[in-house]
Amino acid sequence: MASRAVPAVGSTLGTAPAPGIKAAGDRSRWSAVAAPLSLLAAWQLACMSGVFPSQVLVPPSEVVRTLWQMAASGELRMHVGDSLYRLTIGFVIGGFAGLAFGATIALSRLAEAAFSPLFLTLWQVPVIAFVPTMVLFLGINEPFKIAVVAIAAFFPIALATFDGVRGVPKAWFEVAKVYRTRLPDLVWRILVPATIPSVLTGLRISLTRAWIVLVAAELLAADSGIGQMMEMGRQLFQLDVVLAGVVVSGLIGFALDRGAREIERRASKWRTA
Amino acid sequence: MNRLLANRSIRLVIGLVAPAILLAWWQWFATTPGASAVALAPLGSVGSAFLELANNGTLLGDITATLGRAFTGFAIGASLGVATGTAMAVLPLLNRVLGPLLNGLRQVPMIGWLPLIGLWFGTGEGSELIVVCLGAFFPAMLNTHAGVANVEQRYLDVGEIFRFTATQRFVRILLPAAMPLILTGLTQSLAFAWIGTLASELLMGAGGGLGVTLQTAQIQQRLDVILVTVAITAVLGFAINQIIARVRREVLRWQPVQY
Repeated sequence: MASRAVPAVGSTLGTAPAPGIKAAGDRSRWSAVAAPLSLLAAWQLACMSGVFPSQVLVPPSEVVRTLWQMAASGELRMHVGDSLYRLTIGFVIGGFAGLAFGATIALSRLAEAAFSPLFLTLWQVPVIAFVPTMVLFLGINEPFKIAVVAIAAFFPIALATFDGVRGVPKAWFEVAKVYRTRLPDLVWRILVPATIPSVLTGLRISLTRAWIVLVAAELLAADSGIGQMMEMGRQLFQLDVVLAGVVVSGLIGFALDRGAREIERRASKWRTA
Repeated sequence: MNRLLANRSIRLVIGLVAPAILLAWWQWFATTPGASAVALAPLGSVGSAFLELANNGTLLGDITATLGRAFTGFAIGASLGVATGTAMAVLPLLNRVLGPLLNGLRQVPMIGWLPLIGLWFGTGEGSELIVVCLGAFFPAMLNTHAGVANVEQRYLDVGEIFRFTATQRFVRILLPAAMPLILTGLTQSLAFAWIGTLASELLMGAGGGLGVTLQTAQIQQRLDVILVTVAITAVLGFAINQIIARVRREVLRWQPVQY
């Protein structure tokens, strides 16, 4: 019944819950590996048999070779590095702004009345729809991509922080009042620990979403990055490069989600302990 | 202060202050001669752009095209997702074969498929629809699978006592018990379909639709058209969210309210 931490407005747009697909038992462990492997083998065989022309489907070995070559030439590192750099900077900016904003409107009724209508209105717009406006204002260079990430990160974090802070039992504040706790102490010793679980959930959701939006922004306009790599590959009909990009963006998305889940699990341990 | 804030109309007025300041600042900025005046359209021109788009039918055409694409993609993708998720939960063999594959595929951001789909199917309306279907498929599949696979054992035990046939078991126990999660999945699917529609329209620019208009307006530097379109997007997104919430309440009436 402790579903209070789920953002009320954000839940409709939230990412999928923990995957229910989980292999059970020992026998299924090898079959979990066997199924993708046999699929890869079938893919490879289909390409070698010559049913598909190489403009339509390239074999996995080709994709691996392309990845290897791009890794060796430093091209892959440049694209991945640029994308992750944008993600980090934008996420830090958007994250801090979201934390501050969410905490403010949760603590002050006046701030909530003043800002939440505007906030909730803007929240209805998919971040991707802001892209054309931002291109007009910021151009298509680095500030634009960082701003896209920051905006994508801002909203879920602000909502999660709001829900987290509002979810702190009133009694805790009353205790703080009795002890005449000063504001910094109130923030650091009560608010922060109490809100960490829901804030971390918000951070995770916004991290995966920021990644998606960044790839989209790079597809649209960029001179480097994973999205640009795929878009160039598409324009030059280099299917191997496009597939390599799909693999890499999937791996990065997976790693981000897993990492965030791990942090979330560790930081929320005190709750059940 | 708190008593003041308890009053609804006063809250409303306070809520309007921030947007009003924003709009005033904008109007002032747009009408002051300077470098930014090029990008910022004055408020009046946004209004006239709205009237222009509404009168020549562009707006209505865009809205129907986008909604049509979003809901078609949602219907196809989500029903495939629910079917796959159910099948995987009921048939362990299928789960073992498809599970790891689908779980790997879903790691790729929805937009990440765009270049590949563009290469395979061209940058037309069909490709846009495929992206929307893909976006809608995964949340429906994952949640349905989780819902059907994790039905409480005691429900199944009761079915056992009544000697339910496989069909009865499915229709009377599995489906209702999984319904909350299925609905959660459908909700997320619709949200993904909506975002996927706008994104694919924006990036491929084929056919009609709000995203296509956004893209054209960006190239033509028509901020007024962009803002009108974004506002329409917000209204439609809000309406969709409201409908979802209502359907959810209606279907899950039997459930105790959770807090």
